[in-house]
Amino acid sequence: MRISRSLEVWKMGTVNYLEALKLQDKLVSDRKTRKISDTLLSLQHPPTYTLGKRRTDHNLLVPETDLRKIGAELHYTQRGGDITFHGPHQAILYPIISLRDIGLGARNYVEKLELTMIELASLYGVKARAGQTGETGVWVGERKIGAIGVRISSGITSHGLALNIDPDLSYFKHIVPCGIADKEVTSLGKETEVALPAEEVIHEQLISCFARVFGFSDIIWKDDASILFDNQSIE
Amino acid sequence: MALRMWASSTANALRLSCVSRPPLSPAFSLSRCFSSVLDGLKYASSHEWVKHEGSVATIGITHHAQDHLGEVVFVEVPESGGSVKKGGSFGAVESVKATSDVNSPISGEIVEVNTKLSESPGLINSSPYEEGWMIKVKPSNPSELESLMGPKEYTKFCEEEDAAH
Repeated sequence: MRISRSLEVWKMGTVNYLEALKLQDKLVSDRKTRKISDTLLSLQHPPTYTLGKRRTDHNLLVPETDLRKIGAELHYTQRGGDITFHGPHQAILYPIISLRDIGLGARNYVEKLELTMIELASLYGVKARAGQTGETGVWVGERKIGAIGVRISSGITSHGLALNIDPDLSYFKHIVPCGIADKEVTSLGKETEVALPAEEVIHEQLISCFARVFGFSDIIWKDDASILFDNQSIE
Repeated sequence: MALRMWASSTANALRLSCVSRPPLSPAFSLSRCFSSVLDGLKYASSHEWVKHEGSVATIGITHHAQDHLGEVVFVEVPESGGSVKKGGSFGAVESVKATSDVNSPISGEIVEVNTKLSESPGLINSSPYEEGWMIKVKPSNPSELESLMGPKEYTKFCEEEDAAH
């Protein structure tokens, strides 16, 4: 019997990294106590470099002060994965979902996140694939188009995926992306022969791919994200 | 009976990894597959195990957990001397770009941590119940052990979790 499962999707535009982290912490806590059901945040960040739990800052190739000079922030996080860059024209999804409710382990969850990006790429005629062992993420040939870094706390997910739509790839030159040297970074814009529509359209398609891969039958769209931040300040 | 045969052939088809791999015949395969659940241990629904010996309880994550995580590349354990609370997180395990918090099934004082895990995080995959142990705790409330699952209950719990989807 297929139970109908709904996903609440917040389309948030550009959000500062720390704000998004604080918000995710609150949502994870609410999801644990079942105050909310499965939720997805769809957003972009201003130029931001982030490190995972292993704090692999040897993969940052320039001093932190240089990053500030180019207008980027650096943050250490609790997610899995190595160093990466987030910025304008990169689509980010942060699913706050209960893996136990859908019987997924970490590995399967990451595989489905990869599949979500692979499906989106195929909409634009781009043949992407999941990485080989040790190279998690989504690749077109030997070029990385999408990255994943996830945190799972009592079965509730946070952080998620980042798909390069058309970011300024020169930002990646300051790091060894995901700790994988000698591999290029690419984007949908670089790989497709088709003209890209407005990014809002691509974001919605990415969300639909996610919903389909994860078996959500209903999407509840929420556009007014200010309510999420208002609830935060009341605490 | 039909459900067991379906479950075992599904397990075969999906090549669910088991600690031992004897040639599987339908009648026996289900219990063989879950020889990855050990007797003498207690289990939490978040897939951690506890081995209570005298005044010390050893804690780690189960075979089922490490199988669902994939290859473990990094383990975070706390310092000895700290304390844990039942259901509270005491460390984390990183696999395939996912960091998963590990929760303590019982409350108590941490008396020892497995320092081998920082150099050899893969011990959690290869030996989840022995060399992959994570912390040793002096239980502050031994009655908490009663509310944990025994091997048969935990086996059934895993079956139901995996089958439901």
